[in-house]
Amino acid sequence: MIVTVTLNPAFDHLLFFSKIFMGKLNRAVSTLRMPGGKGINVAGSLAVLGDEVVATGFLGGQGSRAFEGFLRKIGVTTSFTYIDQEIRTDFYIIEDKKNRQSLFIEKSSHIELRYLNSFKANFKRLLHSAKLVEIGGSLPKGIPPNFINELILSANKKKVKVVLNLQESILKECLAGSSSFIVCPDLRESCYIFGEDLCNAASRHKAAQWLLNKGAEIVILKYGDLCYFVAKKDEVWEGEIGIEGSNVIMLGVRDGMLAGFIHNYLKTNDIGEALKFGLGVALSTAQNKMSYLHSKKQAEELCVMAKLRKIA
Amino acid sequence: MKKVKDFITRDLTSVTEDTPLKEVAELLSIRELIGIPVVNKKNEVTGWISETDIITSIFPEKVKIENPDVIHLINISQVVKKLTRVGQAMVRDYMIKDVYFVDEDTPASYVVELMLHKDFKRVPVVRNKRLVGIVDRSSLSRILLEEGSID
Repeated sequence: MIVTVTLNPAFDHLLFFSKIFMGKLNRAVSTLRMPGGKGINVAGSLAVLGDEVVATGFLGGQGSRAFEGFLRKIGVTTSFTYIDQEIRTDFYIIEDKKNRQSLFIEKSSHIELRYLNSFKANFKRLLHSAKLVEIGGSLPKGIPPNFINELILSANKKKVKVVLNLQESILKECLAGSSSFIVCPDLRESCYIFGEDLCNAASRHKAAQWLLNKGAEIVILKYGDLCYFVAKKDEVWEGEIGIEGSNVIMLGVRDGMLAGFIHNYLKTNDIGEALKFGLGVALSTAQNKMSYLHSKKQAEELCVMAKLRKIA
Repeated sequence: MKKVKDFITRDLTSVTEDTPLKEVAELLSIRELIGIPVVNKKNEVTGWISETDIITSIFPEKVKIENPDVIHLINISQVVKKLTRVGQAMVRDYMIKDVYFVDEDTPASYVVELMLHKDFKRVPVVRNKRLVGIVDRSSLSRILLEEGSID
């Protein structure tokens, strides 16, 4: 069983427009509402790939039941801690004619200590049946900086593999004294990490080396829309897959890549193969309006289009 | 024949034996549930706690519906004392320990029998004793109506 942790989940509300006129009344052509958050997206893709996956984190308010119901429908088991606040909604605005996609993120909840303790106890119980834990996304208010580190150490103690899909500032805090299986920094807002420009090949090596030295077994770095650099201690790969056309939606695409990589690597132990399959899952997710891939079969068909290079 | 895995609700919402009863009441209310599994540190099902268990812990005497005035006969100060005590109590004090559970390969017909004969509305589903979900009457009814038959 794989456990995904999303401490700051939100509904993703997608509004499709042909064109937006700022300062005017705009009517959406269509809308979609679905559960979101990095760990949630990974859970959705893993479930579609056939993995047994449990999504955990904080949920609250009237929206919780719909949120969980949606996840269960696609095969994700839910095990959330309930707080006394309504779940956030993030708005994703898609303009067809301009081929432009904008994300508006709502302010996060404040988590009280009693809920943190309840979450921690639940997380520890889930570790008894878990083979891998994926922790992704941002942190809501009230979560101390060492909280993720505590979760990682609990997983390390139980010999459960840990995958981190977090922002640079959180990664710096949580890597101390712990070991992780995969580190895939959240690079939505920047192509820089630890002062290194990932568009530069030499800088990618440096950034990956820094993370490997911090106890990561595998490092995955994004340096373009669907361009990835994957490094292990003694092996490095780069890969990309073309993403063209106006029908692609980038929501959940990078999380789909990570889910595909995890799914494949746990079976093959081959980072080249896992990267190739991950790119197929990412493209299948981009072609799906939801935040997870269309199907495993489609991902398998698409992954042959990936261009891979073994660097070392 | 349909099996539990065909209509299981993959929900692991649960409490532990040391959860305060007050928190259970809050959780049942937020989630609009009538009962919830009790698990140990390994996520193994050890019991069941329901809203009925909480209410009867406060009003153990049976209140007769045909005589609503009976509620006034209960000493109010005793009820307040009891409420304070119950509010501080833990799940272990009021949970049902002889809990029935099924596994994912249990036939639907067995679950129907269990729910009807024991008057259960929700039954925990386990794998190697660990909680993996819940079956409830509504999802069971839905699957039965979809299929037209349990076989």
